[in-house]
Amino acid sequence: MPISLSVNGRRHSVEVDSDTPLLWILRDQLRLTGTKYGCGVGACGACTVLLGDIALRSCQLPASAANGKSFTTIEGLSGDGTHPCQRAWIEEDVAQCGYCQAGMLMTVAALLKANPHPSDAAIDSALDQHVCRCGTYARIRRAVHRAAASDQR
Amino acid sequence: MTSRRAFLKSGAYGSALVLGIRATGGGFRVAKPADRFTPNLWIAIDEAGTTTLAIGKQEMGQGVRTSLAMIVADELDADWTHVALLQASTTAGFTRLNTGGSWSIGGSWRPLREAAAAARAMLKSAAAAAWGVEPASCTTANGTVRHEPSGRSSSYGNLVVAAARLPVPTGAPMKAPADRHLIGTRVKRIDAPSIVTGAARYGLDIRIPGMLFASLIRPPSFGARLGSFDQRPALARRGVRAVVPISGGLAVVADSTWAALQGRRALAPRWTPGRDAAWNSARHFEELERALAVPGVLTRQEGALGPAPDGGKIVEARYYYPFEAHAPVEPMNCTAHVTAGRCELWAPTQAPNRAQAQVAQQLGIPETAVVVHPTLIGGGFGRRLAVDYALQAAELSRELAAPVQLLWTREDDMAHGHFQNASVHQLRGVVDASGKGVAWRHRKAAALHNLSGPPTAEDLRDPVAYFQDSSWGVYDIPYAFSTIETSYHRVDVPVKIGPWRAVYSPSSTYARECFMDELASAAGRDPLAFRLAMLEGAETVKAGGLTIDRRRLRRVLELVRERSGWGTPAAAGRARGVACNVYDGETHVAYVAEVSLPATQRAGYLPFTVHRMVCAVDCGVVINPLGVEQQVEGAVLWALSNLKSEITFKDGRAEQSSYLDFPVARMSETPAVEVYIVPSHGEQPFGMGEPPVPPATPAIVNALFALTGKRIRRLPIRAADMI
Repeated sequence: MPISLSVNGRRHSVEVDSDTPLLWILRDQLRLTGTKYGCGVGACGACTVLLGDIALRSCQLPASAANGKSFTTIEGLSGDGTHPCQRAWIEEDVAQCGYCQAGMLMTVAALLKANPHPSDAAIDSALDQHVCRCGTYARIRRAVHRAAASDQR
Repeated sequence: MTSRRAFLKSGAYGSALVLGIRATGGGFRVAKPADRFTPNLWIAIDEAGTTTLAIGKQEMGQGVRTSLAMIVADELDADWTHVALLQASTTAGFTRLNTGGSWSIGGSWRPLREAAAAARAMLKSAAAAAWGVEPASCTTANGTVRHEPSGRSSSYGNLVVAAARLPVPTGAPMKAPADRHLIGTRVKRIDAPSIVTGAARYGLDIRIPGMLFASLIRPPSFGARLGSFDQRPALARRGVRAVVPISGGLAVVADSTWAALQGRRALAPRWTPGRDAAWNSARHFEELERALAVPGVLTRQEGALGPAPDGGKIVEARYYYPFEAHAPVEPMNCTAHVTAGRCELWAPTQAPNRAQAQVAQQLGIPETAVVVHPTLIGGGFGRRLAVDYALQAAELSRELAAPVQLLWTREDDMAHGHFQNASVHQLRGVVDASGKGVAWRHRKAAALHNLSGPPTAEDLRDPVAYFQDSSWGVYDIPYAFSTIETSYHRVDVPVKIGPWRAVYSPSSTYARECFMDELASAAGRDPLAFRLAMLEGAETVKAGGLTIDRRRLRRVLELVRERSGWGTPAAAGRARGVACNVYDGETHVAYVAEVSLPATQRAGYLPFTVHRMVCAVDCGVVINPLGVEQQVEGAVLWALSNLKSEITFKDGRAEQSSYLDFPVARMSETPAVEVYIVPSHGEQPFGMGEPPVPPATPAIVNALFALTGKRIRRLPIRAADMI
């Protein structure tokens, strides 16, 4: 089916099967490879993107449901890497292999919109279904607090 | 075949770095003298002053790109703000790209500094010649050569033309430790900006013109062979181009990943089962138990086991360790392009040179006709020392005559790993009436690593060395028992077994350190004091080819004792445990863990809470303390996952297929981790990627004993173990 969607402020029209997950539209059709495949069943969080201000797992959203919607991916989180979360991630030197971090960042961006000063428990609750096999969780938590403290919006 | 150690450390450099070789392709191109200064494989400086460093080890999260760059930039006195990295491909000269055994830093330390010292000497000579002064009267700092007496200075960029005309010296003096300005400082990861913006390129992010996407249906059980199949249901899916049988299974090739996955789902090939179609891990553990009852290969024997001395005690226990998956978040994958007589590969691999050699052999072309471009790796942990994904992608590209990216799904990755070995350990210890340990016997029953097949007659010419290699943590026990007997009891398996984070060590160290706690209890001693007492005597001890330095191990134990509050009461409801290890004779690590029981159990989570892990490390010269801390933090989470999950086999196949049935540690399970680094008095750095893993697990299990009074001798830990 032909679908149109907006990603990072740009409109795209693509021809895909209606069951194609948004993840593969982003990665294969639009060549936006910052959004990662980790499991394909919504169990790892690596593919998380924003629909408006809501974080969702792009491997679970079929093209038919993505049609007409506006998404933000890691490439569009800021134009220049200066989103408070991106700055905090660098300050806390969070990433090890880095593969899961795009998904983490998108979930945290949504969390901070909804809850600008989250507690540790709120952070854990938002990120507990994200997998980081390198074990960067403690630094992620610190980076979320740092981003919350730095965000003057 | 190479030895186990050599396999893991096959990226080790030769004794001398050959200077003056210039790489092409993925390395530095031959530079016109006027262009830039490329004195060796590792360094290129252009006229604008940008220093490009070739990185010859694979980044999988251990921070090696940052730390190798630090080593070169420090010795070169480069301007750190104008350093660029180039990840070396398998082109001329780059023959040591394989990355494993926690040996990147240890093995690169000297050759990289020699290369940088030579380059710095040439830049100094070029400036000195221009100024008519002695090179020795010049100094370097921050990408600039200075002549203090005359106040003259010149940037490296301005010197590249002259320096490039000079001969490359040998034996250029290297800096004294006190003159280092980057090594030992906290440097943030060089790839962080590209990671947080999504610009970083991993294996699956490779996109080349005309490439196809493929997924592979694998045999449903060990040794099953592909029979007949009807390809039409797959070809009926839009975007599916071909269904191709290859040696690894049946591939579906399409215009997009999703089409390939859907095409795959539409197929139902027939398989002819192999002789291991009924193999299961429950029976394997029974076989391992039986193997313990018959003599194994002795890997260390000192003294002779006799009856317990008067008033002494004999303790016996058996420990069980499961199969484990690596489960990196980026699954195995490779992009290959085979053209007439050549092959290019883009792969997240720890073993680019191995992939090059094996693909060349498979395709029947010279190694020089195969170029592997390593990408960033979304988690390696040893799994990517194997190159099965590269062989499959290359075979597929040859069949299709097109570039193709082969994606392993999560299910493929989980079920078709090269797993961490399962083992059963039989331990017997004797303490005398004074509470001193006098005898130790540790039998390990397990398969052998079999990535390149079972060991050959050549491998087994020196069976003791071979089995010692396979039993780190057993034969290299650091403690001063007057009688020590260790042995390996081999049971072959159809499961692919390969390196996993800390390789052979985690299972053995778990059994050894938990059993040390049992002996301490039998002796009526505090477990930390008991260990310290058992590290008295000779300051160093030889085990196989390793030298264990008991002083360094005592120091890390003493440090965690001081920092953890050991000996003072833990908070109500909490308890502490200790463990330590010397990894492969190199890095020394000790932990104190502090645990409690949660008020309620949660499905999918550990049945206990780890609050705090206090770690002391002696890894020799520290390149980047920030990196050391990160590796310990990660190792603690790795150990928690080890306590939480296992791979089991039934009907000739792995039963787990995702993070749902192989749950790894989560954010809410993360303890506070404190890392204390022992200042080094030596001149050699050792690895940190793996060494913090093995003692973390037994420290936690020992803390659980202190809390509950129950010994946990079988992993993973279940809720029932807490009652």
